[in-house]
Amino acid sequence: MKGLWMCALACLIPAVAVAQNAPPAPSRLWIVAGAGAGTLRGHCRDCAQDFPFRHGPAIAGDAGFRVSPRTDIGVDLFWMQWRNDSGRIRATAIDAVAQFRPWTSKGFFVKGGAGMAFVRNWVHTMGPHPDDSKALAVVFGGGWEFNPKGRLGLQLFATQHVGALGDLQTVNGAIADVTGNFWSLGAAIVIR
Amino acid sequence: MRGVCAVTISLVACLATARPAGAQTPDRSAQEKPDPVQQLPNPIGSFLGMPARFGWEQSAGALNTSNAQLACAGCPPRRVGTAFLQTTGINVLYGLGNLARGQVTARITPETWWANMQQGMVWDLDDFTVNQIGHPYQGNNYFNSGRANGLNFYESAALTAFGSATWEFFGETNHASLNDFINTTLGGITLGEMLHRAGWLIRNTHATGKRRLWSELGATAVDPITGLNRFMSGDAKRVTDKPPEFVPSSLSGMAAAGVLWRGSQSSAFTATGDPFLELDAYHGDPNIGRSRTPYDAFWLRMRFGGGSSFSEARVRGRLYGQPFANGAFQFSVIQTYNYLNNDAYSTGSQALDAAIGTTRALSPRTSFWILGWGGLTVLGAVDSLPLGVTERPVEEEPSAGQGVSEGPRFYDYGPGSDFGALARLTHDGHDIAMFFYLGRQIYSLDGVRANHFLQQARVDLLFPLRRPLGLGVSGEYFSRRSYYQDVASTVKTYHYPQLRAYLIWRSR
Repeated sequence: MKGLWMCALACLIPAVAVAQNAPPAPSRLWIVAGAGAGTLRGHCRDCAQDFPFRHGPAIAGDAGFRVSPRTDIGVDLFWMQWRNDSGRIRATAIDAVAQFRPWTSKGFFVKGGAGMAFVRNWVHTMGPHPDDSKALAVVFGGGWEFNPKGRLGLQLFATQHVGALGDLQTVNGAIADVTGNFWSLGAAIVIR
Repeated sequence: MRGVCAVTISLVACLATARPAGAQTPDRSAQEKPDPVQQLPNPIGSFLGMPARFGWEQSAGALNTSNAQLACAGCPPRRVGTAFLQTTGINVLYGLGNLARGQVTARITPETWWANMQQGMVWDLDDFTVNQIGHPYQGNNYFNSGRANGLNFYESAALTAFGSATWEFFGETNHASLNDFINTTLGGITLGEMLHRAGWLIRNTHATGKRRLWSELGATAVDPITGLNRFMSGDAKRVTDKPPEFVPSSLSGMAAAGVLWRGSQSSAFTATGDPFLELDAYHGDPNIGRSRTPYDAFWLRMRFGGGSSFSEARVRGRLYGQPFANGAFQFSVIQTYNYLNNDAYSTGSQALDAAIGTTRALSPRTSFWILGWGGLTVLGAVDSLPLGVTERPVEEEPSAGQGVSEGPRFYDYGPGSDFGALARLTHDGHDIAMFFYLGRQIYSLDGVRANHFLQQARVDLLFPLRRPLGLGVSGEYFSRRSYYQDVASTVKTYHYPQLRAYLIWRSR
């Protein structure tokens, strides 16, 4: 984790200086890669249990292209893993995403999209074999991008991913109407 | 109370963005003197640190001299901050409306906001019509607060998501709803752009006096947010050309009024028919041309009556168009909004399709056009009953207070896929025969555990009388198969035929 941050900072500093010296060539590429801290809370409609918040590291990224000076579209990847007493649990969400920057000269952005999530086990691991589930996924969030006009920048983001699992199949039977909310706060490198 | 104070402040902030209509002159280009009212500094814009070109500080003089900031002479200036504030203001108005109706869900406080943020998103238990029509309509208002303030389609789409998310977390005491977020955002985009363009069709920007007023009022009825912005800014009086983006390459429509006989599982047709009115509008030509302008071509269908007061609404808007094979074929990406309520099934969905179409000239006066498509249903809803239940029970008054949906909910939600075909035989520019087929699969994630496969096929024969009148007959067939995920893997099938006879009125 510490290595990732160091790497991000090391890449960013010279890039900003270069970007200030020469105007960047127009590029339609949009790549974001970063990491952060994630929090999960599970929910199911008929469960008497109130699920606690669970925390773990998260990796987030986007790849796509610019459709206008303020709008990017692409694919969003989110991965989060956490541990509890019963084992290791992870979730991966792949979403089609659109990002909008209201002001081209300022770094504020919002983004949203939808896609699929893949969940291995859930808030508890039940049984010796992992339970793999697919889910409808939705993502929305926002943040601030430093050096938004340059080829290389840094962004701070806050996102919420929602995974609707439907019936969660476990060795103990199906749990109906399961949803999970994943909040993440982090930083990422932006390449344009 | 604190929540009410907060929303009132937001409302005042939103209203502060309005410029007085009386401060405008009819022709922006002829305006020479800057309006003193416009020169006053705007404290809210300054507080938010918005650049003058984006905020309220846009003076009349600036508008006059810097048309480079306008996409066209009749286009609104770009005001991103205003768009965001108006979206918040729309949420405030909806909240106040709910509060006035006595809905307990409107009693928001910072505590309910925090509770909603902690909970995250869940599926809600609201009524089918509220979720499939009400929320998309609400989203259309967010979308058009962007369009009315000079944002383009995709930017307004992002604004719709912003309005939807803020409503879900902060507009009600209910937990934020995943299905509402998707329906409001995607449905709002589809309905919003369609209604925005419909408003521009009604608006006559070259007219003056009463004629102009009525055209602006008519457009405001269709697209209230754009209309109100135009009245507030004075654009509703200004004589300009329409923005070229909103002038369709072609425009046609058809109204059909007649009688419809429905069948059922047990009998072929009902003895007495139900009256109906069906409206079709074709904006632009989706069959030709390279297009990167979303919704430059769209199709709208609405049906009233025929078994329920509002029985069908479909919007298919082209997002992308590209001819290939030397123009013999046309590839399109289409966004769709669907609402269908009949005896076979009630369904609503938001989908994205890829379509390929071609037109063939059969003779100098007759041509045949066919379009096939397939795509993803981001979220679909379909009515359903649990196995063993044959009739939907009467819903009881909610005990938790007005506006609180406690369920059970008799429809399912889930993603899925869809595919279909549309063919038209045209003679002298008029449709004389049409075929429509749509298959939709919805995998239930919330509700009864089932995989629903819905089909609809329809054939229309149209006989021209005296222009623009004609007669039409159509045969329809609805089919539904639900594959339940129970131990016995139960499969249930329903099918309903439907016949119609109607008088048509066509406009080209």
